[in-house]
Amino acid sequence: MKGKDVVIGISAALLLVLVAVIVLLGGTAYTPSREIRPLAKFYLENCINLFNKDWWAASPEAVTSMLWDYRGIDTYYETSVFFLAIISGVALFRIAEIKLDAEGRKEEKELGLSIIVKTSTRIVFPLILIVSASVAFHGHLTPGGGFQAGSILAVGPLLLIAAFSRHFLEDRLRLTEDKCLTLRSVGLILIVLVIALPLITGAALLMLNQPKLWAPVSPFPAYVGPIWIAGTLFFLNVAEFLAVGAGFTLLFLLLSIPEEVFKRVLGL
Amino acid sequence: MSLENLLQVYCYIALTVIIVMSLYGIVRGLSLTKKLIALTIFGDTANALMIYVGFRLGEEVYVPVMPTLSPSLEDIAWFASVAVDPVPQCLVITAIVINMAITMFLAFLIIQAFRLYGTTAVKKIARLRG
Repeated sequence: MKGKDVVIGISAALLLVLVAVIVLLGGTAYTPSREIRPLAKFYLENCINLFNKDWWAASPEAVTSMLWDYRGIDTYYETSVFFLAIISGVALFRIAEIKLDAEGRKEEKELGLSIIVKTSTRIVFPLILIVSASVAFHGHLTPGGGFQAGSILAVGPLLLIAAFSRHFLEDRLRLTEDKCLTLRSVGLILIVLVIALPLITGAALLMLNQPKLWAPVSPFPAYVGPIWIAGTLFFLNVAEFLAVGAGFTLLFLLLSIPEEVFKRVLGL
Repeated sequence: MSLENLLQVYCYIALTVIIVMSLYGIVRGLSLTKKLIALTIFGDTANALMIYVGFRLGEEVYVPVMPTLSPSLEDIAWFASVAVDPVPQCLVITAIVINMAITMFLAFLIIQAFRLYGTTAVKKIARLRG
């Protein structure tokens, strides 16, 4: 045991010294500096360039335009990693499909925290929904987007579970695990549809946002009347918002299953 | 070496120290829960490092969001000269959410292990047979 600790300590110290030496010798050439990388410059110059529309994403938000346009397929795969994790969680807790019986269930008033917490949660919960929706629907114009908005949305049910109870969510709001799973699937299917739609219209390019040199037609306009929707970005943000929000809500619902239920099901 | 450079190196060293400490926690943590906590610290530090690398020095620094929908050529040139690097931010957005999902999945595994074996200590779980 002693020898192992010494080896780990020495290797950790070596790693530290190595990083220090590399940084001091200028190995990380583009540390915070006055100039940024050429790649970043390209994105900043082209994301809403009205004078040269060959490479534009029609969005003033450089981060979102990169996320869903310039490196769109990469984001799509990251989304699939995310949902693989959620599906694994659901598969692990599949005994939760067993209906939670009503016996021994306390009155709703007895569950949850005090009336002060419940009242403030009632005030805060709609605000969380509004903020998340605004972050999602303005994701292509202001900082934000589907991922962030979905995470904000999932805080709402988590707060309700903590302040009220799981039963409040299931019985009063009718927000069951099946509904979350369905919402999440609707979001994912929307994403796939938006990705594949350019193929149907003959553009022969997946995840086409704005017309490119070799794909001159895009089914998604940059704006509809006075409303700027930035092509695919708006739809993808909303779909991802649904999917991430519902996915996290599903996980929180699974985590809040009472321990006694598991003990009984597993026979412990 | 100027003060600016010194602060840069200090930031790198501080973030690396946290990464090394969290790696030690992942490798030598006694309980699965402690390993999970170390893993989240590791992920968050990696994200902080990424954002730090993308920052920009200068008198005027701007978020990578164009403030107007119909920019002129001067606006674009100004934007490209003051905005911070958007690439690391883009990587971190997805990394945070995926980190959270993976953390929850691992938490599920640990909870299930605790239910079945009654412990999260690595050594005790390793001694279990069958």
